[in-house]
Amino acid sequence: MLSMNNISKVFKTDLVETHALRDFNLEVNEGEFVAVTGPSGSGKTTFLNIAGLLEGFTHGDYFLDGVNISNLSDNKSAAIRNEKIGFIFQGFNLISDLNLAENVEVPLRYRGFNAKERKIRVERALEQVGLASRMKHLPTQLSGGQQQRVAIARALAGEPRFLLADEPTGNLDSLMARQVMELLEDINKAGTTIIMVTHDADLARRAQRNIQIVDGQVCDFTMYQGGQSEQKPLTIADAASVA
Amino acid sequence: MFFYYLDLAWRSIKKTPFLSLLMILAISIGIGITITTLNIYKMASINPAGERSSQLFAVQLMSHDNDTWETINEQITYQDAINLSQSDVPVKQAAMFRTGLAVQTEDVNFSPILESVRVTGGDFFALFDVPFIYGRSWDKQVDEEGGYKVVISEDMNKEVFGGGDSVGKTLLLNRKPYQVVGVIENWNPSPKYYDVNNGAFNDSARVYVPFSLAPIEEYESWGNNQSWRHEDIRTYQDRLNSEMHWLQYWAELDTSAKQQEYQEWLGRYVEQQQQVGRFKRPDARGEIRDVAQWLNFNKVVSEDNKVLVGLSALFLVVCLVNMLGLLLAKFLKRAPEVGVRRAIGASRLQIFSQHLVEVGLIGFCGGALGLFWAWMALYFLSSKFDLEASLAQLDQSMWLIAPVIAVSAAIVAGIYPAWRICSTNPSVYLKSQ
Repeated sequence: MLSMNNISKVFKTDLVETHALRDFNLEVNEGEFVAVTGPSGSGKTTFLNIAGLLEGFTHGDYFLDGVNISNLSDNKSAAIRNEKIGFIFQGFNLISDLNLAENVEVPLRYRGFNAKERKIRVERALEQVGLASRMKHLPTQLSGGQQQRVAIARALAGEPRFLLADEPTGNLDSLMARQVMELLEDINKAGTTIIMVTHDADLARRAQRNIQIVDGQVCDFTMYQGGQSEQKPLTIADAASVA
Repeated sequence: MFFYYLDLAWRSIKKTPFLSLLMILAISIGIGITITTLNIYKMASINPAGERSSQLFAVQLMSHDNDTWETINEQITYQDAINLSQSDVPVKQAAMFRTGLAVQTEDVNFSPILESVRVTGGDFFALFDVPFIYGRSWDKQVDEEGGYKVVISEDMNKEVFGGGDSVGKTLLLNRKPYQVVGVIENWNPSPKYYDVNNGAFNDSARVYVPFSLAPIEEYESWGNNQSWRHEDIRTYQDRLNSEMHWLQYWAELDTSAKQQEYQEWLGRYVEQQQQVGRFKRPDARGEIRDVAQWLNFNKVVSEDNKVLVGLSALFLVVCLVNMLGLLLAKFLKRAPEVGVRRAIGASRLQIFSQHLVEVGLIGFCGGALGLFWAWMALYFLSSKFDLEASLAQLDQSMWLIAPVIAVSAAIVAGIYPAWRICSTNPSVYLKSQ
């Protein structure tokens, strides 16, 4: 599903070169729920941006669903983001001027669906997150947890194969965070691959696989199976074979 | 997607009403001034003869002997006018000049009016397609032998006779009775191309009398009288025999063959006059100019007008630069939202298009408001600065031109801000929102 081989990302200024990712290798299979952890500044967000085609990379190969992502045009990147990837952000990132239905509808507009198809998909997505009755509300009229559920509905409306979540519970209290996490687990069970960046160890433990990034590299790997954890230190070279 | 972008644009304008109003005002002022000057320029340079423009020709003769005038003069002498009228090449032709007469009726209670009057041949009305409401022009016989006949305009008819069919009624001009033979519509071509000497944008005459009466009634000339040498003119007959240029002469030449034939005729006329001691310059010649060429020759649309249009266009550019700054501020403030849209599948082109539609909508509103300013400006100029009414009318084409210029100009101003916003890296804003 997702394959990154020796990906490097270097940010250059006149004086400094910063290596956000260096020889980064990762394989994610279809249907997996992967949690990505690591200290601040380790490269988690850069990894997520590259995975979501929001940023390019300096070296390496990246294949998403069999498509080589290197040197894709902006139009093709946008089309892949629209069709295959759903984004969930820590800050929800709903458009404040649009009501819930209109927010969920945005990616469907760019996909070119007609009004009837958009309506069906918006209703279905909002029902899935339990907010079908509040379609006409503005984001500011909702709680943080509800706003995040709308963001999830927006990500789901286009039926992506791949969800990227950046600290999806970071701005929520524990009860809301648990509800959102349960929702993501349900979505994953329905077949959607999820990669979630989080600082919360408890939430990370609920994923099938944990990736820890330190200094732009995958430095640790943990698998959880049947509710019990089996922690194994993993070298970078081993990562691909284990995945 | 266009209507979706239009909806987003409208929401955006409503969301930032003050900033949007500033931008609309900026472009509307630029458009208002541009449309005002453009309208005056257009109305001044309109060809009032329409389809007949290429069939109607002003006749000029290089009859002066010395270098008093650098070019061929726009008027001709009386003796040349009489001689030209002998040609049977033109379909119709007429000499003319402007005079002034006291207009009265037989009603003793009617106060006389001092009126500008056109003295011309009977062909004048057919030559310039002047529409008659009642009656018609005077007969050929009147042109040849003289006769106290008059054609008046609808306005004058209303003023002196209270309207209606006044053919056969008597009008007193300088206390002499003239029989009304025709009433024309209020014919007022602008520019008044048949006589640009007396104010190209002044109103046309409301009273017309036969040219053949000029030697009899000795009508005073109210137009330009141009002489290239000193002549001792004491009587009206002296004037008629003089080399003074004071008459306009027009001929209808409906085919290129006729035009060629008339040019040749004029050539022969010049040679003939040279034989009798006139037209002594080596470059003596006759020329004909159609209406468009005639207006251009007389610089009816002055260079000042063109400069004014250019300056107003520059002012529009200044307004657009201001608008560009405001747009940049507005669009960059929206970068986080654009980041979200980019993340969920909008391409750069789609973001670019969305913002250009918004700019276009602002431009359209600015264009509509600009039209209002232009209308106000023309009204103000005509009421306070005596701008000719024909120039102060907002031409219908401006209803289309104003929005087109406004939208195009706004889009040009919006290209850079729209490009900047669609080029921003979305990931920068997604985390920071």
